Amino acid sequence: MNTSFEEKSVWVQLVSLMVIFGGYFAVAGFMMADGVPVLIAYVPLFTVSIVLLVIMLTAGHIIAVCFGKPEGRDERDRLIEWRADSVSSHVLGGGVLIAITGMIFEINNVWIAHFLFLLMFLSEVLKLTMQLVYYRRGM
Amino acid sequence: MGKEKTQIKNQIKTLRFHQDEMTQQQLAEQIGVTRQTVNAIEGGKYSPSLEVAFKIAQVFGKPLDEVFQYVESLP
Repeated sequence: MNTSFEEKSVWVQLVSLMVIFGGYFAVAGFMMADGVPVLIAYVPLFTVSIVLLVIMLTAGHIIAVCFGKPEGRDERDRLIEWRADSVSSHVLGGGVLIAITGMIFEINNVWIAHFLFLLMFLSEVLKLTMQLVYYRRGM
Repeated sequence: MGKEKTQIKNQIKTLRFHQDEMTQQQLAEQIGVTRQTVNAIEGGKYSPSLEVAFKIAQVFGKPLDEVFQYVESLP
């Protein structure tokens, strides 16, 4: 198989993030739509999501190891990560400016916090996706 | 998804063949990268750093420009 452990690890991270935090945002979205007004009400959901993410990442990496031992990272893996980081940082930077604008107009903290969290999620998903594109398509 | 080729051509596959049919894994171990990286370099999907390029040339005992060639454009 022509997939390195690093690439498999990126797949594991991408799938785990999408499943766990996709679920988080679905539930949190319903809570916000129901008008749950305080941030502390979302902490249990967030905590459960983090625990599930750690479990899924660990299990995913254990499975990946079963299909081939880690070879270690080399210059190509590092370059791919840097380039993907560079692309995804634009999403994060642009979104933070929007969030600050929202604060100026005194939008509820729950919405601002979730918007920032969504941005972190989306920029990480974009980064991992770009890594996979660079691994497959080349640079 | 279309493949993005670099403008660096190389003769690594031929040189490996003439070096007792050296495998990508063997070459990777000698130059300190993964087999997938050797595969990407060979396929023109990744241009290695100068350091790795020199290491590859050293393994085959060839000057750098016999291993790698820069081409103006690829179709």
